[in-house]
Amino acid sequence: MEAIFFWALAVGLLVSATALVAFRNPVTNAVCLVVALVMQAALFITLESFFLAAVQVIVYAGAVMVLFLFVIMLLDVREEARRRVSWPLLVGVVGIGGGAVFGATKISSLFPSSDKILHWGQSGGGGGAKELGRLLFTSYSPLFLTTGVLLLVATIGVVVLCRKDPEV
Amino acid sequence: MIFGEVTLGHYLALSSLLFLIGLAGVLLRRSLLIVMMSLELLLNAANLALVAVGRFQGLPDPQVAVFFVITVAAAEVSLGLAILVAIFRIQKTTAADQLSTLRF
Amino acid sequence: MRAYTPYLILLLPLLAAVSIRIFLHPFPRISVAVSTFACLGSFLGSLGLLLLGSALGGVAAPSLPWVEMAGFRANLGLMGDPLARGMATLVSGVAFLVHLYSIGYLEKDPSRSRFFAELSLFVFSMLGIVLADNLVSMFIFWELVGLSSYLLIGFWVERPAAGAAANKAFLVNRVGDFGFILGILGTWALLGTFHFSEFSARVGEVPVGWGVTAVGLSLFCGCLGKSAQFPLHVWLPDSMEGPTPVSSLLHAATMVVAGVYMLIRVLPILELSHVTMMTIAWIGGLMTLLPALIACQQNDIKRILAYSTLSEIAYMVMAVGLGVPGPAMYHLMTHAFFKCLLFLAAGSVIHGCHGEQDIWKMGGLGKRMPFTALVLLLGTLALCGVPPVSGFWSKDAIFAATAHSPGLAAVSMAAGFFTSFFMLRMILVAFGGEPKNEAARQAHEGGIWMIAPMAILATLSVLSGLFPVEKFLGIPPEEGHASWTLWLSLLFALAGFVPAYRFYRQAGHEPLNFSILRHKFYVDEFYQRALISTQDAFAKVTDAFEGWVVRGFLVRGSGVVARASGQGLRLVQCGQVQVYAGLFILGVFFLLGWLWRDGWMR
Repeated sequence: MEAIFFWALAVGLLVSATALVAFRNPVTNAVCLVVALVMQAALFITLESFFLAAVQVIVYAGAVMVLFLFVIMLLDVREEARRRVSWPLLVGVVGIGGGAVFGATKISSLFPSSDKILHWGQSGGGGGAKELGRLLFTSYSPLFLTTGVLLLVATIGVVVLCRKDPEV
Repeated sequence: MIFGEVTLGHYLALSSLLFLIGLAGVLLRRSLLIVMMSLELLLNAANLALVAVGRFQGLPDPQVAVFFVITVAAAEVSLGLAILVAIFRIQKTTAADQLSTLRF
Repeated sequence: MRAYTPYLILLLPLLAAVSIRIFLHPFPRISVAVSTFACLGSFLGSLGLLLLGSALGGVAAPSLPWVEMAGFRANLGLMGDPLARGMATLVSGVAFLVHLYSIGYLEKDPSRSRFFAELSLFVFSMLGIVLADNLVSMFIFWELVGLSSYLLIGFWVERPAAGAAANKAFLVNRVGDFGFILGILGTWALLGTFHFSEFSARVGEVPVGWGVTAVGLSLFCGCLGKSAQFPLHVWLPDSMEGPTPVSSLLHAATMVVAGVYMLIRVLPILELSHVTMMTIAWIGGLMTLLPALIACQQNDIKRILAYSTLSEIAYMVMAVGLGVPGPAMYHLMTHAFFKCLLFLAAGSVIHGCHGEQDIWKMGGLGKRMPFTALVLLLGTLALCGVPPVSGFWSKDAIFAATAHSPGLAAVSMAAGFFTSFFMLRMILVAFGGEPKNEAARQAHEGGIWMIAPMAILATLSVLSGLFPVEKFLGIPPEEGHASWTLWLSLLFALAGFVPAYRFYRQAGHEPLNFSILRHKFYVDEFYQRALISTQDAFAKVTDAFEGWVVRGFLVRGSGVVARASGQGLRLVQCGQVQVYAGLFILGVFFLLGWLWRDGWMR
């Protein structure tokens, strides 16, 4: 059961990511990104990180994607100029892609306990909002507060950068 | 099961492939907008690896890290897009290969 | 309480100097009074210590630790041994009389306050040298004395010559002080102590060798500078640009003999090396003669006296070199009195003639300034060693010590001959004959402030020969007095008067002309030439160094290197952000590979 979900989601994720990189229309790219992010959220669920899955959908697929789409509309970005696809390039891309798959599996198998198998329900929880919240507000609370400051700074930065008149 | 059991290695391989695809996008695409989307892919690849390792090792802390990564990513995207808009106002383009004023 | 008296003696003048400098500067009368009374206080304190101390035994003042390191210790301390007590009394006494004299001499000077502040600073530093119980403390005061000497020589700031003389004195003294500080460090290396009182106990453990000689000669170097001995004597005649009371106190009676005093303090070290002692004795011996010869052809009344000072200090140095500190101190004391007197009298002459210093433009002063003429004559008799005036007794003690080294006896007695010659020449030209100009015609005696100190000093000059100095200073008297030196030296001294009387009785102008003497053996010119040519050569070398190495290689070279590497590295900068990102990723992969190879990921 886990395997079916994993393979389906993995293939979906890789395909949508490749599509993101390959297509030239920005709106298509954005849609591909949304799909990839949702796939990722589903993968989080297979990893029993339910809270993160929710955050992923809300923050990434919701807020960040809306931001991207706004910018696409605002700038009226057109399609990129077509690259000339030549046979050597295509062979190169396919070769590099195959090599990358091979290398990725090889390198991943080097990680300690990379052959570990864990079925659903065996990890002992820890992916819910309750557990994460306890950690966030106890041992990681200074970091959490700092993140608030970071977001504030980002907000101010965006406001300053997008002013109409740069002087003052 | 058709493909056998899912191990930590599977997740890590998926994560590194995702990272490579994102990297290709960052390095090859000309539109800065797409470059930024690819950057999100890179972050997501890292997130995936973190969560997978955390789960297989029974640690909750990587999830907290991922939470922070998502927060920082949100901040980064907003600032990056703001810069993009500012650049577009001045240079009338978002193509990375045409933005070469840093060159001598 | 008695143990702290040296501190009281020492700090009174400092207090005066500081308070004048800070508060009393605008009130000359108060400043003068404060400075003078501080000096009087010091004098009374030292006198009390001298009279009571010798009856009560040595007084050790507590000392303060100053530098404490592993293997190195220096204290700031004062001592009240008989030598220090006697010297402190002498210094503060003469200084007090000069204070009184200065009241009259600088009656109309607007910057009297500054003068008296600097004078008080000098008294403080000089007493510091005298009372210091170790070489490091002494060196501090030694430098302070140099500073106050510099300030006082250059007191008349509006005269360029005074500034030049002050600079010269300071710079020449630096040369000597450099040797002195080497000697101080060498002393530590040899003996492991700076304290005078521990020297004689420790010298027994020191191996005799070239090191001892080097340390002794380095210490003597300090004496060469401060006491203006050859070859560092050139600053003293020039220092006569300062006010006459300064010349009298610093450059005749007290400061310049600090070198001799220091030599006596470190005598146990000097005595370890025969070479050192012989060098000191012979430099002293030759220095008695050279300035005496130079003085025969000088025309400036103060310079004549300055050269005689050089000669007299050389007698003391020679005595130390011969290993007889007693006569050296004895002569130091009598010399302080009569040389101070001579300078004050010369100051009185200059004061009376409205600043005229050339003896050939005076003349006939004997009738107009009879008192000055009288004290000058007494001082001359003392200086030339005519019995029974003080100089005779002290010089005789030194001559007696030369009995076993005929060479030194010959030069020092010849110096006595020329001393008599130039002193009588000075008196005959300045006081005899007819007035040469208007200033000399209107010459007059100074006020009571100037006459009284001269009268006191004249009395002391005449009588101090009878003072049992060795007993007070705790130095054992010399044995075995050879009588032939007495008669011979007396003969030489008296013989010097004859040609002087013959040549200068009625002379209106200089009858003799020795240009080598007039030009002081060309020492100044030699320094001038040598320094200029060395300096030019050195400047050329440094200019070449600067031009080729600094400017050409370092400055321009570094610029060229930076520019060339910038030009080269500029080519890497394509301005494409994705190329940068690719390079960055390559770096990351490289690092990861490196870590993996080192086994971090296994």
